[in-house]
Amino acid sequence: MAESSEGEEEAKLTGGNQHLVVDDDLREMAKKAAWSVSSCKPGNGVLSLRDDNLDTYWQSDGAQPHLVNIQFQKKVKLQLVVLYVDFKLDESYTPSKISIRAGDGFHNLKEIKTVELVKPTGWVYISLSGNDPRETFVNTFMLQIAVLSNHLNGRDTHVRQIKVYGPRPNPIPHQPFHFTSREFITYSTVR
Amino acid sequence: MEAILIDCVQNSLRHFLYRNAIFMCERLYAEFPSETNSQLLAGCYLQNNQAYSAYHILKGTQMAQSRYLFAISCFQMDLLNEAEAALCPANEPSAEVPNGAAGHYLLGLIYRYTDRSKSAVHHFKQALSLDPLLWTAYEELCILGAAEEATSVFDESAILCVQKQHLHHGLAYENMQASGEDHNLVSGRNFGSEDVCPRQLKHMNTNNLRDIPGNYHGAVASGGAASQPLNGGSANIFYNTPSPMATQFSGAAPPPICKNIQPNAGVLGVEGSPRSTVNSTIQAPRRKFVDEGKLRKISGRLFSDSGPRRSTRLAGEAGANSNSSINTVAGNGASHSSKYLGSSKLSSATFRSVTVRKGQSWASENFEEGIRHEVYDDSRSNVTTSCSSSSADIRSLEQEGATMPTAGVVTSSSRVLSGASDIVALLRTLGEGYRLSCMYRCQDALDVYLKLPHKHYNTGWVLSQVGKAYFELVDYLEADRAFGLAHLASPYSLEGMDIYSTVLYHLKEDMKLSYLAQELISTDRLAPQSWCAMGNCYSLQKDHETALKNFQRAVQLNSKFAYAHTLCGHEYVALEDFENGIRSYQSALRIDARHYNAWYGLGMIYLRQEKFEFSEHHFLVAFQINPRSSVIMSYLGTAFHALKRSEEALEMMEKAILADKKNPLPMYQKANILVGMENFDEALEVLEELKEYAPHESSVYALMGKIYKRHNMYDKAMLHFGLALDLKPPATDVATIKVIGLFPLIHHCFTQIFHSSTFILTSRSFINSRFVKFQSLGAYFSVIN
Repeated sequence: MAESSEGEEEAKLTGGNQHLVVDDDLREMAKKAAWSVSSCKPGNGVLSLRDDNLDTYWQSDGAQPHLVNIQFQKKVKLQLVVLYVDFKLDESYTPSKISIRAGDGFHNLKEIKTVELVKPTGWVYISLSGNDPRETFVNTFMLQIAVLSNHLNGRDTHVRQIKVYGPRPNPIPHQPFHFTSREFITYSTVR
Repeated sequence: MEAILIDCVQNSLRHFLYRNAIFMCERLYAEFPSETNSQLLAGCYLQNNQAYSAYHILKGTQMAQSRYLFAISCFQMDLLNEAEAALCPANEPSAEVPNGAAGHYLLGLIYRYTDRSKSAVHHFKQALSLDPLLWTAYEELCILGAAEEATSVFDESAILCVQKQHLHHGLAYENMQASGEDHNLVSGRNFGSEDVCPRQLKHMNTNNLRDIPGNYHGAVASGGAASQPLNGGSANIFYNTPSPMATQFSGAAPPPICKNIQPNAGVLGVEGSPRSTVNSTIQAPRRKFVDEGKLRKISGRLFSDSGPRRSTRLAGEAGANSNSSINTVAGNGASHSSKYLGSSKLSSATFRSVTVRKGQSWASENFEEGIRHEVYDDSRSNVTTSCSSSSADIRSLEQEGATMPTAGVVTSSSRVLSGASDIVALLRTLGEGYRLSCMYRCQDALDVYLKLPHKHYNTGWVLSQVGKAYFELVDYLEADRAFGLAHLASPYSLEGMDIYSTVLYHLKEDMKLSYLAQELISTDRLAPQSWCAMGNCYSLQKDHETALKNFQRAVQLNSKFAYAHTLCGHEYVALEDFENGIRSYQSALRIDARHYNAWYGLGMIYLRQEKFEFSEHHFLVAFQINPRSSVIMSYLGTAFHALKRSEEALEMMEKAILADKKNPLPMYQKANILVGMENFDEALEVLEELKEYAPHESSVYALMGKIYKRHNMYDKAMLHFGLALDLKPPATDVATIKVIGLFPLIHHCFTQIFHSSTFILTSRSFINSRFVKFQSLGAYFSVIN
């Protein structure tokens, strides 16, 4: 039998991008989701994860693993998670091992991805796609980002921003495929 | 004192010094609290954009002019019920609408915004019949979809109507004009008639008093408007400043004028003898005078203008003869008017107030000759050789509504005739073009606009109408060109710039669009069109939240701007907020029920929500409003197909294909429908044709691949899926195509030729390089083996 090496591997991610660059056909999905965290220090709560401000951060205040829970109102397709973490600023608070889980709710979350960060400084992209084209997206009600350990064995963690991306819906309803050419797009809507 | 104050107020208004005008008018009203003065005060407030103040002072007043001003203030404050009650009191159903055409127009607007389109149409038509130059009434009729052909509206009778009005006006106007130059002449001429003046004035006085109620007492307006002898402007009527002027005639002015005139006494010679025919009343040349050159031409011809009518009336009122007219004229805002008026006034024992009296003898004379006198009062018509005596009946004039003195000098009746017919002819062309474009017969509209003379064609308004017509024809390149020219022609004009921004949005010209938006915002931050352009800019960059904010700002600036609501709706839909989207589209429809974009938007929402009957209904309405849009037709077809009415769907698609050859979508939808009906061969034919037309469209190949797969023609299917993927569709499509297409195919291929190792190898590498990772292939091998 040929080797089948599909499986969740641990990926090592180093560095980080200074700029957030995302494909045009992806859009931020979590604006209307409910965000919660397992613990936080007063003044550094969950809002700091979503405020588009890289100076404010979430600081956890409890035992590991530290969890960020994102719950959607309906099943959504997700493709990419992007975190902003900075080793230079946060040192021992910088997360090092992150596990991403998905499911219908707290009771049936299943791990879909694990990454290990090595001294990241900036935006870190974590793709949720599997190798199979059928697994390009994760179709789920809930996403949980778990910080399993930090650099230098820190207990608590700092995360400055989190964004979650999924595909854009087809602007034309009832079409099996998107339109790509200019002529089709021009004639496809009335504005 | 009253006259001085009135004069001062008029003067300030004429010079646009509103605060001064308001202050002095408030003193005037405190000192002499009469209703006419309150009208003047209200007028001052309205000019200064303080509709609420005008509302308070005029509340409960009964005079026609006050009711009219009150209605205007209510309308500006969005209190449509009160405005309607003022114009059309509930307990007096037969009361006449104040201010004729203007009143009917305002009433029409009120009915339109309170959803009573039939009454609105009725009133707009009335307004037009009273004043054929009330263009905006015709525009409103077109927007409501109830306009008759321009040729029947702007026809011979309209020309006659205009001529009548303006011939009378012309006299006084001419006088004014002439006066500048014939200052001397006039004075001389009038000299003799001076003594007549008082009598005339008194006479006028009485007449005026009678007539004043019906007049628009807004000296204010006259102040402002006087400077614009507007032709066919809609709000013209507003600016008629008849009566108030009258009220100002108190002795103040006369003395100076007399002085003026005196020295010139002998010089006159112009037109004729001071026809002091008795009842000639003075008419104060009202409008602004343009330049001496023209005045020269006019010399000798005194035409009474509609303006004069006012002024005359006013003049009459005050009892100060020339003075009054001079005052009036002055009040009218003609900058040079005062001195001219003075002289002309004097010269005018002959000036005649314009009153359009249907068909009177004015036609008789030689305008060239000079002073014409018009009898102010019906009973007297002085017919002096040079004057035509048309008895002016102010009331009748008012009823006719428009008293727009023609700008410029109408020096002779023949010129008035030709001028009137020229104007009406111009309006006829413009009206027909506008009506056709409102009915979305855009090609015809374009042809009509091309008939315009160059100097009119190359103006901002016409060019943006042309741009709109191209936009509706989905010819965005031409529309871009036309709008670009329009913007060059009048960079300060924002009309139609919102559509221009949509054109640039469709063409995906983000540089041009952002430049346009910036320019518009810097021109006018408070115009909804600028914010629509800005919103389109953000929407093009897919930043729908900011785009929505911009469109909401546009709505706040002018809640009656239907397109801003529609654009808000589009953004809500892009953000998947369908509730609010529906609300926005419905607001747009409340303002303009023929706004087919909003109907389309609602249809799309229901299509997405799978409420197919609703969706079909809305697309149908949109189609009925704009039966030439191939896009609407193709969506209507899609809705039919979703309701399983495939035959009708196909028919609609055929229509759409015929309607616009350049639109590839109906063909694609047709293929979709055929696939849904399991008519695969025809579908393939259509798609093959489409492939020729749009070779870079990934969805065409994807659909073809699907069909081939159904037919088990795997090679072709693979080929097409490969082509589709090459054209870089978005990630969802990539996933879909790979899932539906590739793996089963590969599986099938392998099972069929598994013993041909070379083939496998080549296939593997082929597949590998293009589509899948080696690992996943491995999985398949394991399954197969």
